[in-house]
Amino acid sequence: MPIADLRTVPEALAPAAELLGRLDEAFETGFGRLSSANLEALVSLGRSFHGTPIAGDLEAALAGLGRSEFLDRHFAALAVARSAVLGAMSDALVAQASAALGRPRPELEAIAPGPAQEPPPKLAVLLESVRHWLMELAIAGFANLEVGALLPFQSTLDAIMAEPALARHAALLSGFLGELLTVFPTRGKPEIPRQRWVDLWARAMVLSLAPPAATPTRAVHGELRILATDLRQHDNLAQLVVFGVFVEAGKPARVVRTGVAAFKVDVLQGDDLGGLLGEIGGKLLGALVTGQALKIDGMLLTPAGDLVWQEARATLLPAKPKLAEEAGVLAKAALRPGHDPADRHPALIEELVWLPGDAYALAGKEGRTLTIGGQPFPLALERVPVSEDLNLGDLAGSKGMVAALRFDAGQWSLQPLAIDVGKPLAKMVGTSLAAARGKAKDGNLTTLKERAGKLLRKKA
Amino acid sequence: MIRPRVLARARKVHKVPFVELYAGRLQGVVSSGSDEDRVYVSYFEAGTGNFYCSTNNNRPCGGMRNSPCKHLAELMGEAVLQFSAARVIAYLGLAAEPDKVRGGGELLRYIKGGAHKVEAGMVFSRFLTYLQYVNVAPTAAPLPEMAWFVR
Repeated sequence: MPIADLRTVPEALAPAAELLGRLDEAFETGFGRLSSANLEALVSLGRSFHGTPIAGDLEAALAGLGRSEFLDRHFAALAVARSAVLGAMSDALVAQASAALGRPRPELEAIAPGPAQEPPPKLAVLLESVRHWLMELAIAGFANLEVGALLPFQSTLDAIMAEPALARHAALLSGFLGELLTVFPTRGKPEIPRQRWVDLWARAMVLSLAPPAATPTRAVHGELRILATDLRQHDNLAQLVVFGVFVEAGKPARVVRTGVAAFKVDVLQGDDLGGLLGEIGGKLLGALVTGQALKIDGMLLTPAGDLVWQEARATLLPAKPKLAEEAGVLAKAALRPGHDPADRHPALIEELVWLPGDAYALAGKEGRTLTIGGQPFPLALERVPVSEDLNLGDLAGSKGMVAALRFDAGQWSLQPLAIDVGKPLAKMVGTSLAAARGKAKDGNLTTLKERAGKLLRKKA
Repeated sequence: MIRPRVLARARKVHKVPFVELYAGRLQGVVSSGSDEDRVYVSYFEAGTGNFYCSTNNNRPCGGMRNSPCKHLAELMGEAVLQFSAARVIAYLGLAAEPDKVRGGGELLRYIKGGAHKVEAGMVFSRFLTYLQYVNVAPTAAPLPEMAWFVR
C-alpha cells in the first residue's frame, strides 16, 4: 500500500520547520523585548529569502524591527515571508502525497475573474484596525498578554462580523480572540500554543493586508454525490464542510467541497447546530440523513473547488449513491478541492483517500491505532468530532472509509470522515443534524432569546 | 491544538441563560426559581471576592445577605461547567486547588468578599452583545481557516 510511504516526510521540510520554529519564539517573547537569539532568528529568515521577490521588503522590515521601529508594514512583511515558507512546505507535502497515492497533483480550475469591484472604504479601515491589533500582540509577545489589551478588539470584531465580505476574517479572528481569552488572565506562566498562535496571527495579518478581492467563479449545473463531511467549530462559529463527487454533463467526474457555517455562542453545541445550519443548508442536511444525491442548478464554483452553497439552487434527487462506488473518483481526479496559492499551509491539507475495508486494520489499546499493510499509521484522533454520528468504534469491521490525509506536528495522519459500515447510509458527521433541526424550537437558542426578551420587556 | 471543551453535562441554559468571565468579573443572568417572568443579574468580582445579585430592575435579591444566594451559587456551578474549575479559579484569583474541585458549590467558601452593588444594566447589555452572535447572518463562503478549529 503506497500510503505507507507517507510515514516519512520530504527531507527539505525539517530545516524550513526549524527556521520557522526559531522565528516563532520572537512572537512569544515579544518584538518589544527581543533577545539576541530572537534577533539571530530574524537574520537567518532574511538570509533565506535572498534573491526572492520579497527580499527587499523583508530586509527593510527586519532592519526596522531590529531598531524597534514598530510599523504594521514590517509585521506584514514578516507574516508574508512566514506564509511563503509554509506555502512551499505545503507544496512539497502535497506533491509527496500525490506521488505516494499514485494520483495527479490537485489542480486549480482556470476561471476568468469577473469585473473588478471597488471594495467599500469601510473595509480598509476595519482591516487597518486588525493589523494594528495584531501588531500590538506581536510587540507585547504571546507570553505577556493582558486582558486589558485584548478586550478592546471586541468592538472591531463586532464591526467585522457585520460585514459579509469579511466572513473569513470574522471566523478566524473570533476564534483567535476567544482562544487568547481562554488562556488570559492566568496565574503563573501560561501555556502558549506558540506555533498555532503564530499561524493564526500570520494568517490574520495576511488576510488583512487589503480588502478581499472577489473570487472568480462560474455557475455549474450537475449532480452532487456526498462522499464525506467534517465539522469545524469554535465558541462563536460552527461550519459543516461537505465533500462530494460532482458530475457535469460532458465532463469527467471531479471532487468538490461545499459547506455552510453559522455564527453562534459558546453554549450552543450538538443538536443546537441543526437549527443554526439548517437555516442556510437545509437541503444539504437533508441529503446527509437520506443519502440522496443533489441536483445543482447554477451554483457558483471557485477555482479551488469550493461550491458556494445556495439552497435555492439545489434539489434532492431520488438516487442514493453508494460510497464505495463513488469514492473511486478520489484517486483519479486532478480537479479536487485545494487552496488558492495565497492560502496554502500544511495545516490546511485535506487530501481525501478511499480505503477499502481489507486495506486497514485496527490495533492498539481500544483499537485507536490504524495499521495499513501491516504497518502502523497514525490516526488524527484529535480531529474526530465528538458526535454520535461518527465514532472511531465504527471502524471495527467496517467495509471501507473515506479519510482525509492530514499533516500535523511533523507527520502525516488519517482522519476518518465517512465510514462504510455495510448499511445503506455511511457514518459521517452531520447525519443527525436534520432531525436536530426539528427539535430546535425546544433548544437552547430559543431559551436564550426568550430570556433576553423577558429582560427587555422588564427594562422597558 | 486547543480543543473546545466537552462539557461534563449540558449547561442548564434555562436556569442560567448567560455566564461569562469578563472585565474582572464572573457575571451572568440567572432565571428566578419561582417566577417565570423574573431574571436575576449576578456577579463575583475577581481579587476582592465581592458579589451581588439583583433583579434586572436593580432590586436586590432577598436571598443574598452577607453570603452568596442560590442564584450566585447556580451561576458559579454553570461557570465551572462552561469554563472549567481551573479557569474560574485563576480568573477570580481563588485560593482553591483546581484538581480537587468537583463542582461550583465547593468554590463558594473561597469567596471572601461581601455584597457590593453593581448596575444590572451593565451585565444585561453584555448579554445582548453576546446574543448578537446568533443574529449574524450564516454564511456559505469558503472558510479555509476553520481547518484550525476542529473537534
